[in-house]
Amino acid sequence: MEITIYHYLSIGLFMFLAGLIGTILVKNVIKVLISIEIMLLGVNINFVTFATFCDGIKFDGYIFTLFYTGIGAVELAIALYLFYLMFQKKKSDNIEKYGDL
Amino acid sequence: MINNPIIFYTASFLIMVFTLITLMNKNVIYSLLASIMVFFSGAIFFYMLGSEYNAIIQAAVYGLAVPVLIGLSIMFTQKNEDSTKIEKLSFLTLIFGMIFAFIFVDTIIFSISKLPKVFNFVELSQINPYDVISSFAAGIFINYVWAFELLSLLLTIVIAGLTLFRKKGA
Repeated sequence: MEITIYHYLSIGLFMFLAGLIGTILVKNVIKVLISIEIMLLGVNINFVTFATFCDGIKFDGYIFTLFYTGIGAVELAIALYLFYLMFQKKKSDNIEKYGDL
Repeated sequence: MINNPIIFYTASFLIMVFTLITLMNKNVIYSLLASIMVFFSGAIFFYMLGSEYNAIIQAAVYGLAVPVLIGLSIMFTQKNEDSTKIEKLSFLTLIFGMIFAFIFVDTIIFSISKLPKVFNFVELSQINPYDVISSFAAGIFINYVWAFELLSLLLTIVIAGLTLFRKKGA
């Protein structure tokens, strides 16, 4: 049985949707950040999949994945620091209390 | 590129189960531990697709560095017990979610059944790793050199900015 492009795209779609649903429904700030990273992982899987199956020369999707990984780590570091600063005042990790961010 | 169904379905099962555990577990620590498995499973997919470099980056950054960062944040912010409230989805939300999921899966299956069976994909059953490395080098240092420099500048700004914020806060 051969693994086709649709298998990998289905996994990427599942990861993106799971991250999206988690971002919308979960109330914990740290879980929301983890959900955003899961969304990014789904996007990266799609990039690598298309680069492998459809682009046999330049592999641009690999480069985009590298950039997205770096940007995702930077975004997470800043978001966690902002959360830490706001937690000093709010004393809660419920995202509904962070409306005035 | 590794075309092994056993590895693929095992990694798919792991990534799906641990994603659901990450999202549905009530304890943040357990969610973090499950998310580590999710990120490592993502690295397995990258390796299977022939991108070893991305797999190493994924395992190093998201499998090791980011969980340490999140774990430190959890340690600094989980002081009072009131913050760990149990989250429960309402019954109505669950029903609507199941209906949405059923419609979505049905749409996906219908769309895939309507797709043409044969695409003109590049035949890449055997990817030469030297081509991947050379394409990485060409991409980073020639084609996308400005994006690469901007990313490094962004990382430097973040490090300097967080350090200055920390000093200002102290």
